[in-house]
Amino acid sequence: MLSCTMVTMHPVPTSAQSLIDARALGLGAYFPLVRDSREFSANPAGLVNIRDWDLSLTTYINPGTASPGFVFHGMTLGKRFFGDEALALRYAPGSSIRFVIPPVLSLGDASTPQSNDREIAYDEQFAVAYAHRFLPGLSAGIGARLRREEVTDTRYQIVIRDTLSYPTATHATFTDHAWLLDASVMWQPFPALTVSAAGRNLVWWRTGDAGSPLADYALPTTPVAEAGFAYAPDARFLISGELATTGTGGAGVEWLVPFGLAVRGGVRWDTRVAPAFDAISFGIGWSYEFFAVDAGYLKYIDRQRHNGSSTVSTFDPALLTDLDIHPYALDRVALSARAVFGSTRQSLARIEEVTVFGSIYPASSEILAYKPVGAVRVRNISARPINARASLFVERFMDTPTESPATYIVPGAAADIPLMAVFNEQVKKLTALSVREGDVSVSASPAESYDDRSQTRLVIMGRNAWDGDSRTLRFFVTPDDPAVLRYSRDVLLEHGDSLRNVAGMLERFAKARVLINSFAGRLLYINDPKLTADYVQYPAETLQLRGGDCDDFTVCFAALLSSIGLSTAFVDVVPPGHPDNSHIFMLCDTGVEPRYGASIADNPKRYVVRRNAAGVETLWLPLETTVAARGFDEAWTAGAQEYFDDVEVGLGLVKGWVHIVDVN
Amino acid sequence: MKQLVILAVALLLSTGARGDGITVQKIAGDVRVRQGVTEVWNTVTTGDALRPHDTIRTGPDGTAVLVVHVEASGATKRVALPARVIVDMSDIRDLSQEDLMLKLAMEKVRASSDQWKNDGLHLPNAAVVHGEDRAAGPPAKENDGQVGQLLLNGVRVLFDNGFYATTVLRVLEVFRMYPAFSAHFDNRLLLAQAMERANLKGEALAEYGAMSHLEGLTLSQSRLVDARLEALRADRR
Repeated sequence: MLSCTMVTMHPVPTSAQSLIDARALGLGAYFPLVRDSREFSANPAGLVNIRDWDLSLTTYINPGTASPGFVFHGMTLGKRFFGDEALALRYAPGSSIRFVIPPVLSLGDASTPQSNDREIAYDEQFAVAYAHRFLPGLSAGIGARLRREEVTDTRYQIVIRDTLSYPTATHATFTDHAWLLDASVMWQPFPALTVSAAGRNLVWWRTGDAGSPLADYALPTTPVAEAGFAYAPDARFLISGELATTGTGGAGVEWLVPFGLAVRGGVRWDTRVAPAFDAISFGIGWSYEFFAVDAGYLKYIDRQRHNGSSTVSTFDPALLTDLDIHPYALDRVALSARAVFGSTRQSLARIEEVTVFGSIYPASSEILAYKPVGAVRVRNISARPINARASLFVERFMDTPTESPATYIVPGAAADIPLMAVFNEQVKKLTALSVREGDVSVSASPAESYDDRSQTRLVIMGRNAWDGDSRTLRFFVTPDDPAVLRYSRDVLLEHGDSLRNVAGMLERFAKARVLINSFAGRLLYINDPKLTADYVQYPAETLQLRGGDCDDFTVCFAALLSSIGLSTAFVDVVPPGHPDNSHIFMLCDTGVEPRYGASIADNPKRYVVRRNAAGVETLWLPLETTVAARGFDEAWTAGAQEYFDDVEVGLGLVKGWVHIVDVN
Repeated sequence: MKQLVILAVALLLSTGARGDGITVQKIAGDVRVRQGVTEVWNTVTTGDALRPHDTIRTGPDGTAVLVVHVEASGATKRVALPARVIVDMSDIRDLSQEDLMLKLAMEKVRASSDQWKNDGLHLPNAAVVHGEDRAAGPPAKENDGQVGQLLLNGVRVLFDNGFYATTVLRVLEVFRMYPAFSAHFDNRLLLAQAMERANLKGEALAEYGAMSHLEGLTLSQSRLVDARLEALRADRR
């Protein structure tokens, strides 16, 4: 009688739940770390963290076996959609276990000589999962695995007919399919910590051959609960642990070294067998942008048990709660590759709020390249520090998005990033108020594409709108405008003879006199049109219209005087308690030194001693531009009187209700 | 119309800022008044009320007595003007220490402009502008030193009547307009003493320090400066 009591496993296992991928294999405890399609069936809730399309492939070998060779283990494909939803599929032909019980041949009586061998196979080739993010840091997922259990009996029979006897073999196959439903939740209470819980085999549907030998080898469908955590005390170091009600568990560490490299290690234990300390694992990985490759090695401690075979008497299918990690598995080296495709990816930053500080005034839009037009509150939703940049783009009025300087944000924290804006010349052609959409985008390093986008509404005023701040009025002064240049030169040419006899030091003074006198009787004071903002005419417009109010005239004369090389300044008077009576006039630098003051006026109250741009003290003439229609002397007298009353007597400059703004 | 409103507001503000009234109580000889920023000297008679923007000038034989009614305290003060002085009515007032300090700061930073310092918009400037007109006409005439002397005489009146703050400001202005006066020991001493009286100890110390380097100081002048320097230093300690 020949008998064999060994159960041989061919080929050796692989798995279903948690250690297909090489990164998972190296870490030992991967359950709380699922953040993409890798090992998604271990924790479907983690799928919400995938970027867009997510593909992974795994192969493995069993070192130490007689003929090791790479076996295609499987592939997973995940897709994120609608921002907070994700779906993944797995096809894993390598996720199978096959046990063979060799034949027992009995030579009995001649009428019924028979024997058989038996093959038991388990696999979980297909899995699907869906996940949803309920809140930032909180997600849940459900998954289903299709498990197949199959027993094949091979029966040998010696057929004796007359003088002829020969063996025959018949095969009887019994198959059972089961859909097993799992669910999990993942919670990130703060960026450094992730906790997760899962229930496996919560629901199952079984279809197949009832009452067959399958009953002796059926895998358990008992619900199993599992919990785990991952903690990253540092951006480059994390630890993880997991524990299941089956008595199995693991722990692991990962250290991110420079150049995209990672080093991993872990341990596994199984309290159902002795010794409980079951396996150790190691792994390395490298990632860059949207691509990662990993290698992992799982080595079992008990060489007697993990040798690829068992005895019939000790073989217990109930221990196969996990097709990957179980008491009969062999050592394994896995290699994995993962790639991310699509237009979106894992967001590192999220926009929480966009604030626009005020309207855009085209005349002074240049300063918005440096002075924020608004701010965007950005939160770092990744587990690592980021450098976030915000950019603003307004179609038609900007050539390219204007990007702000990088802002460092620690995990979980939020920061207000200023929004700058470099407008093109189109904005200065806007004749009336306009409301425009502004695209606000945020990117975080090392990413190149946008992490989040938002839109905000920008009110862009007409080109003539002024915010009332005398500091921005200078942006209306356009001394290089052809109309301004033409006018000033025409006037000076017309008075060329008289100007030629003027003392050199008084040349500027004389030119200013001629230029402003040219408006005598040809200028009309006209109030601003009723609009939402103060209205300022550009110099060319004032020259054409021959009318305006104090700011229009001041801007126009400042441009004309600047166009012939004279420095000018605005004198902005906002009487205390009477802001409605605010007024603006100007100062014009004659270039005359104070000791020559008598050359232009005997009364020193008619001029102001100021330093010019070169740091030299010179005499500046106060000019009330609204009376320029009555000639230079009237404008000078009125301006000097105002200046003396407001600045010297009223002390407006030292008390802060008079401001002088240099134009040039 | 708008200019009238502006002027009215300005006058209202100037009056409110000063609050004092000045009346010509007595005159003798050539005494004239220049109103505001005009360049015409008009005659003045006893009983005329002077406004803050007026300037009074006495001729070689002229004298005047002004009565200043200080509205805040209700006090009345007489200011006697000797011959050959020019005094601005806006200088016959007491400035607060804070206003004086601010005015002085602005004297130092004459180009005190509200240029937008933090807008980050600093456009590159070619800095060198070519194109000097070599065919320029005759030179301009310098300020008349006699007028400067009248102004300095007027400043002494301010000092003698206790208006130390405006004395300081006016002396500095005369020095700017008539640089030659700043080389005279007596004028510098007037400035330094006004600074001391106006409680500008640090400025006075600096001024005495600068005076000690003036050329041609006599022994007594040097001793006076050294004594004041020592006294001010001791006071600071």
